[in-house]
Amino acid sequence: MGYLVIRGEKHEQAVLCSKDKTYDMKIADTSNMLLFIPGCKTPEQLKADQASCNVIHSQIAGFSNNYWELRRCRPKLKKLRKLLMEDPYEGPDSRKDQTLTFSKYTTEDLLSLIQASEEEILHQLQVIDACEIEGFWRILEFDYEMKLLNHVTQLIDSESWSLSKVPLRTCLEELGSLEPREMIEHTLLSYGRKYIDDGEVYFEMHEDKICRAIAQMLLQNAVKFNLSEFHEVWQQSVPEGMTTRLDQLKGLALVDKSSRPETIFLLKVEDLPEDNQERFNSLFSIREKWTEEDITPYIQDLCAEKQTVGALLTKYARSSVQNGVKVYNSRRPIS
Amino acid sequence: MLEGLRPHPALLQAAHLHRQQLKLGPEHGADRHLQGVPVLIVGHHILYGKVVQLEKPFAVLVKQGAGEPGPAGPHACYTVTALIKTKLLFKTRPKPIITNVPKKV
Repeated sequence: MGYLVIRGEKHEQAVLCSKDKTYDMKIADTSNMLLFIPGCKTPEQLKADQASCNVIHSQIAGFSNNYWELRRCRPKLKKLRKLLMEDPYEGPDSRKDQTLTFSKYTTEDLLSLIQASEEEILHQLQVIDACEIEGFWRILEFDYEMKLLNHVTQLIDSESWSLSKVPLRTCLEELGSLEPREMIEHTLLSYGRKYIDDGEVYFEMHEDKICRAIAQMLLQNAVKFNLSEFHEVWQQSVPEGMTTRLDQLKGLALVDKSSRPETIFLLKVEDLPEDNQERFNSLFSIREKWTEEDITPYIQDLCAEKQTVGALLTKYARSSVQNGVKVYNSRRPIS
Repeated sequence: MLEGLRPHPALLQAAHLHRQQLKLGPEHGADRHLQGVPVLIVGHHILYGKVVQLEKPFAVLVKQGAGEPGPAGPHACYTVTALIKTKLLFKTRPKPIITNVPKKV
């Protein structure tokens, strides 16, 4: 059934949501009054009868001096991660879970707090690998998530399974004594693609996503890493048969090519501001000049429907050429 | 939908929609028939308008549910009950309708 909902807390600018889209709302005043007449006919609709004189007494159903103007916008989903990070799930052994209850959110809660349509919210929950535990949406605490992933990858290694054919049933049997079965299955769903072969459930593991997670694990414990050392440690840390590549780290880490030796550091796009101008300010305060290649993963999510990264750069940045390479910097001085 | 200069609210109830062949006298500077032109009569005044197709249609929303606002109550939502694609725009100055002009003897 089609319905529209207005969402937002008191301090937020209201948005209007359909089942799958989000719109910014503005109230526009009209200097003329708008009168609503249901069933009002235009001259074409009335019979052309020159002889007769029609005076139609019409009831005005309502009137208005303003209307709502809508503009399609990006769903405001940064808050979703923020809410779920208030109380990340650390596993069934964590004593924390038994006490705190106020920082946990059901689907209903999220629908009233997040300024996005239901479909956009549910899709984002999938993207961030959230899972429903006892009716509440939870994000896994990173260390716990890595612990689970490690169980799975070690099992794959010891069983010598192909990375594209990991059997669900055996995983649950072998690991079920170590961790809750739902968590094992959640890990496989987060890091693999589920399929059925001959009646059995298998997973094709996402090599890129696993390598990326392991990189995050390595990088978050240091301010920055010597790039060549990082390459070595990273490749050694990923499961047998997987190959690490820098492009797996787009939007997660940034290479500093100007330092000697070259270094790499953690920079997560989800930690950056959601607002366009604030995002660019933040990026330009981290680094004065960016190549399009480097900045794209950090502004891609800002693109509206049919908007390109190039259009964003034209609007929010100024370009120049440095050493024969086109670079972008801020339009205004950054304090 | 009608769009027009703001009339006194009390007069809104007396509004008529009048379609007819209207002859204008020479004192109005025209001697022509007005056919198919929307005419708005409010009290003793008349306004002439035109039909305008809305570039962006209006949706008329009706609020559903929601008794008391608050976290415990049901959430309000809106359903679209109508789509308005055409308006009749009246932006001429209202002219008084003189029905009886006594001739000076």
